Amino acid sequence: MPAERLLDDNVLLEELRNGSSEAVEALFERFHGKIYGLAMSILKNESDAEEASQDVFLTVFQKAHTFKGNSALYSWIYRICVNACLMRLRGKRRQETVSIEEFMPVFTEDGMHTSPVEDWSKEVERKMLDKELGQVIKKFTDDLSEKYRVVFVLSDVEGLSNEETAQILGLTVPAVKSRLHRARLYLREHLTRYLREGKTE
Amino acid sequence: MNCKELVYLLGDYLDGSMEEQLRTDLDDHLVMCDSCTKFLKTYDTTKLICRQIRLTEIPEEFRERLNSFVIQKSREHHKGLEKYQKMAAEEQKREVENLLRAFREQRLAPSLSLLFDTHRDRCETCGGFLRYLNGGGEPKTCPEEIEEHFAEFLDALPPGEEPYLS
Repeated sequence: MPAERLLDDNVLLEELRNGSSEAVEALFERFHGKIYGLAMSILKNESDAEEASQDVFLTVFQKAHTFKGNSALYSWIYRICVNACLMRLRGKRRQETVSIEEFMPVFTEDGMHTSPVEDWSKEVERKMLDKELGQVIKKFTDDLSEKYRVVFVLSDVEGLSNEETAQILGLTVPAVKSRLHRARLYLREHLTRYLREGKTE
Repeated sequence: MNCKELVYLLGDYLDGSMEEQLRTDLDDHLVMCDSCTKFLKTYDTTKLICRQIRLTEIPEEFRERLNSFVIQKSREHHKGLEKYQKMAAEEQKREVENLLRAFREQRLAPSLSLLFDTHRDRCETCGGFLRYLNGGGEPKTCPEEIEEHFAEFLDALPPGEEPYLS
């Protein structure tokens, strides 16, 4: 267990700058899981995520002296992580992702739902801890293009505020909200289709 | 408000950032529209269930590899810094040695001389040492604290001004 004083962001950073190996260990323990998980959700490839995680720690060592404490340490590190992943994506051909438009709700000309809306909320709440459903949602999420996926993962999966997500990604809050909304509409529609199919089987 | 508008506004409605009038309009629509009520419920549940998703866990093998990588790199990084700090310390030592030599040989530029004179009377740490020098003493080494102060004299010199008389 790392010493309690290292739970304080500024103390941790200060000791990192002084080369304390205890601080390195505390930094690693606190963030490696999040960094890898976040990298996996953006890059969707284990070895890419591993390399991106390495990049993140290197950047943290190099830039430890520039951390001003204006934002929380985790949001600074998430930002470094997202940037490291996007740099890696830039070099690659984008994987084909489904078109989000296919999953947007459809309305009549006067703005009414074109088809009846099913209420499956109770059913899903019962299945909340169902492993299969969890995997299905994860698969749907992975199919989102990274533009939506990163926002969705930070805000709805990790539970950061829209302001924090905006700061990490360098987006405006309205842009974050709009992407998040579309990602949720997409997932909602996916779930609707998934549950409907399950019933007919 | 129609269904399309309502769906567009759901995010704001649920996170509480919607203004009161719009919220009332939306509530009015919900009361009479079964489809939208269902849509709202399933949208909200989607949000809720996504909080249950866990990020991919790092495989133990990766974890160990990443851990050794991080430890190794942090050492290298710190060694690099130490090397730089050592170089800077040696550089400062040389500069102060030059300064003291010039002091003994009375080759200090006027502004530096003045700094030395005022410092001798004001600084308890360096006062004795400076008087010893003034008395013609030739110390073998300069104590670290005093070296720090003398190094600052050089930094305090106006840009472009030569520290020593030729």
